[in-house]
Amino acid sequence: MKTNSTALRAGAAQTVRSFPSRDRSPGFFPPVPSRELSVRALDADMSAEGLRAALLTLTLTLTLTLTFGRSCCSQRSRNGSAPNIIIMLMDDMGWGDLGVFGQPSKETPNLDRMAAEGMLFPNFYTANPLCSPSRAALLTGRLPVRNGFYTTNAHARNAYTPQEIVGGISQGEILLPEMLRKAGYISKIVGKWHLGHRPEYLPLEHGFDEWFGSPNCHFGPYKDSDRPNIPIYRDSQMVGRYYEEFEIDIKTGESNLTQIYLEESLLFLRTQAKAGQPFFLYWAVDATHAPVYASKHFLGRSQRGRYGDAVMELDYSVGVILDELRTLGVAEDTFVFFTSDNGAALISAPTQGGSNGPFLCGKETTYEGGMREPAIAWWPGHIPAGTVSQQLGNVMDLFTTSLALAGLPLPGDRIIDGLDLTSVLLNNSLIDRPIFYYRGNELMAVRLGLYKAHYWTWSNSWEQFHKGINFCPGEEVPGVTTHEQKEHTMQPLIFHLGRDPGEKFPISVLSEEYHTALQRISPVVKQHKKDLVAGVPQLNMCDLAVMNWAPAGCEKLGKCLKGPESQPWKCDWPH
Amino acid sequence: MRRFSVFLLIVFNVTCERRSAAARPSFVLLLADDLGFGDLRSYGHPASATPALDRLADGGLRFTDFYSSSPVCSPSRAALLTGRYQSRSGIYPGVFYPGSRGGLPLNETTIAEVLKPLGYATAIVGKWHLGVGPDRMYLPVHQGFDHYVGVPYSHDQGPCSNLTCFPPDIKCFGTCDVGLVAVPLMINDTIKQQPIGFPDLEKKYSDFAREFILTSARRNQPFFLYYASHHTHYPQYAGRAATGRSPRGPFGDALLEFDSTVGNIIEALKESGAHKNTFVFFTSDNGPSLMRMSRGGSAGLLKCGKGTTYEGGMRVPAIAYWPGQIKPGVTRKLASALDILPTIASLAGAKLPRVHLDGFDMSDVLFGHGPSKRKAMFYYPMDSNEKTGLFAIRLGKYKAHYYTRGSTLSDTTPDQDCHATSSLRRHNPPLLFDLEADPSENYNLAAPEHHEYEAVLRKIQKVKEQFEEGMVFGEAQVGKGIDPSLEPCCTPQCTPKPACCVCP
Repeated sequence: MKTNSTALRAGAAQTVRSFPSRDRSPGFFPPVPSRELSVRALDADMSAEGLRAALLTLTLTLTLTLTFGRSCCSQRSRNGSAPNIIIMLMDDMGWGDLGVFGQPSKETPNLDRMAAEGMLFPNFYTANPLCSPSRAALLTGRLPVRNGFYTTNAHARNAYTPQEIVGGISQGEILLPEMLRKAGYISKIVGKWHLGHRPEYLPLEHGFDEWFGSPNCHFGPYKDSDRPNIPIYRDSQMVGRYYEEFEIDIKTGESNLTQIYLEESLLFLRTQAKAGQPFFLYWAVDATHAPVYASKHFLGRSQRGRYGDAVMELDYSVGVILDELRTLGVAEDTFVFFTSDNGAALISAPTQGGSNGPFLCGKETTYEGGMREPAIAWWPGHIPAGTVSQQLGNVMDLFTTSLALAGLPLPGDRIIDGLDLTSVLLNNSLIDRPIFYYRGNELMAVRLGLYKAHYWTWSNSWEQFHKGINFCPGEEVPGVTTHEQKEHTMQPLIFHLGRDPGEKFPISVLSEEYHTALQRISPVVKQHKKDLVAGVPQLNMCDLAVMNWAPAGCEKLGKCLKGPESQPWKCDWPH
Repeated sequence: MRRFSVFLLIVFNVTCERRSAAARPSFVLLLADDLGFGDLRSYGHPASATPALDRLADGGLRFTDFYSSSPVCSPSRAALLTGRYQSRSGIYPGVFYPGSRGGLPLNETTIAEVLKPLGYATAIVGKWHLGVGPDRMYLPVHQGFDHYVGVPYSHDQGPCSNLTCFPPDIKCFGTCDVGLVAVPLMINDTIKQQPIGFPDLEKKYSDFAREFILTSARRNQPFFLYYASHHTHYPQYAGRAATGRSPRGPFGDALLEFDSTVGNIIEALKESGAHKNTFVFFTSDNGPSLMRMSRGGSAGLLKCGKGTTYEGGMRVPAIAYWPGQIKPGVTRKLASALDILPTIASLAGAKLPRVHLDGFDMSDVLFGHGPSKRKAMFYYPMDSNEKTGLFAIRLGKYKAHYYTRGSTLSDTTPDQDCHATSSLRRHNPPLLFDLEADPSENYNLAAPEHHEYEAVLRKIQKVKEQFEEGMVFGEAQVGKGIDPSLEPCCTPQCTPKPACCVCP
């Protein structure tokens, strides 16, 4: 339990640091009701005792905060309008992984309840079928091809930020927390950053006030001599590395990281609520990304295996956070949005990958399974409960909508692709808008209304496919899930996503319907391409020397490693 | 001792008689046609518009592991109404045609016949598909139903290319079955219209159902309404209110129309005051007809569809709804359409037919009292026969396939296993899937590297032997063949048949 205690101590220290000086003897305060609630929200057969024991120390240290939170909140009124903002971004979770979207394995009672209390979006998209560009788009409100999170090394390739990547989010981009700071928000990211791991790219350089998490995926473990294990940061200093101070047992899938991320979030919420401080929490947890993990109390609990266990733990955490908002009295002042960064990674199925429901293929592809995301908005008293919105949404809208909610104008010097969804959220109105499906530097497909036109199709190369890498297992559609990059720009493949959400039956090019649809889509594509000023690609160069050998703070921990000489090369992106 | 039990029985009967008739619950059984596991919003369809069914799902108990007894309609409906496998009642091979000589044997006891002795009013609206036969002897009015309005078989079992399926004049898609009489609308055992007028049909059904509920309630009479919709079976049709109103095209419009009738029925229950004492159950007869492509429904994440014994063929949506009695939620417990008769009998306090039943009382699942009495599900192919016997068995979370075969009805999916070209294959050892970890039946566990599953297979084999020992196949009713002169014709003396059978 090394991981757990280290992190919990670190967490507690953080709380104390950010307290104003007062008497903080914890002994005077009653037990924490929110914890009781959360334990009850677990599936009936979950061991409440086990969890309680594991978190007891923490509970005691937090009692104080909570009580402060409670007493302050009744007096607190920030004149209503600008709510706190929480974005819950899952990693590789699929549209079909939620009970409310038809998953039969019943792992998400809390998300299903969140949907019943809020607004469900069956037509919500990411801006790219891979994590780094998707996250960059969410935080900048701009397509990756504009904000630079793409590659030009080869045509239509997904690029991301492994630790040999040289680039990261460019200084010229404006991130959501930088904007929110102008309205007095305090921002924290908990979990995976993935917008570059070199010092100038880290979260605190881009508007976040606090960070607990890692800059890259939790791949590993690695041998120090080949590549360093990925560091975990608190703010701008590393506090350990995956598989070292922060364990993930690759064999069993056990790790306490989701619990740690949950507690980090609760501490932040309590502190900000107590201070009456508007806040932005970006909860970017990654337990559903391979190697998939869950804490001991959740391992073996789901019927789907390790992946389902991870979903259950995340769902549980969502329940705890929402309960905490109610307990703190800020539920009606907090806009919460739940979604995922890209489609389920079918390459990791069945034990380490999720479900994209009825949609074709998964992560890495521009079929619906790669880019349609589960999405729920929650803001009691403002968003009507139990509504389903047919609005076409996109993670980039979270940038624009958050600014609107905070009462801030959009940056005026650049194109912002995100829409303000406030009217959708508050009045369930509909805004007509296209969805652009990019893979690297290529516009692969466009959705307008219920029609989707594919200008390029590609699942992956024959070479990769023959290695056993299959993005569309069991669902190869001839002429659609092609293994060559197939151009259809003269005569796009068009699907009606209402009749055929699984993209199996292209509409006949001879039909009137095809021509009517194409006539509507073509000018939208033409206009988009005409207005597009592509950003400088940030994900072209790789170098072993830039890996996480010696992150800031490594000296104090004695965890600095020596890297090789710089030898940059053009990264090879096979997908 | 025997005398004592007879005495008890009499007392019990008298007590039952004395309970005011209104105290017995009423029953509404809603059956969709070819609607797949993934076709409702509550089961994860992104484009379905089903507000009434969504309300049932939100306010009722939704099943994730509910099975029909067959991947095609006639056998599935026979099992639903009798609580017995179609092999026992002889509803094989395949389905009935308008001129079929056979039908559901009259000595089989239907849910309606179980309830009749207790004074229930009974009615069926829609698709029967359990035979017409000589002198229309197999129609529902001879199987315990007081009233019948509907088509006695599938609404594609007659030519449809000249018929209007959607107003104002969108012709039905495809030709349906040519060379047969036009599809009739029957009231009890009389033909009222031939061919049927599709755009107005649902209103007739809905109005009849509503009137039946209100009348029964007014008389303080408990009732059993079986609404066996034609929706969403091919060819899809709908009236003005649903045409072009869903994002899912013709299939979505048909589903929306079904949904609106469900809504009307629930409204009628409320209006009549019967809703607090009515058990409503919704399900589908079999998986989606994937050969119809975007007009064919969706099995969601399940493998294949109609006509196959993969999950997509027989695992169907199901919702139990009884406000105040059944707690809203989702259950993963195993249940089947076979269980509906024993459950209804138990809730009504009715006597079970004295025959071998394959269903179990679901009350414990419905009211959250305990585990499901059903431990296994047995999968017969659409043409069940004694020689091959069971195709597959689900025991707990494991499913073993002894035989697999694709079906024309599931053609056009990317998965070759579903297609008609995948002919009958025996598996020894059987294919083994963990349906909880792998509901899509992708990863066979009966492989050398999974030797720990040999024990599971042995257990399943034992259950199979036990089940098949107790299985007595009834005389094949569909196998009795077809006599075109039995096709229902509103002008029996006319020539040339079948084209002359027309009564607008």
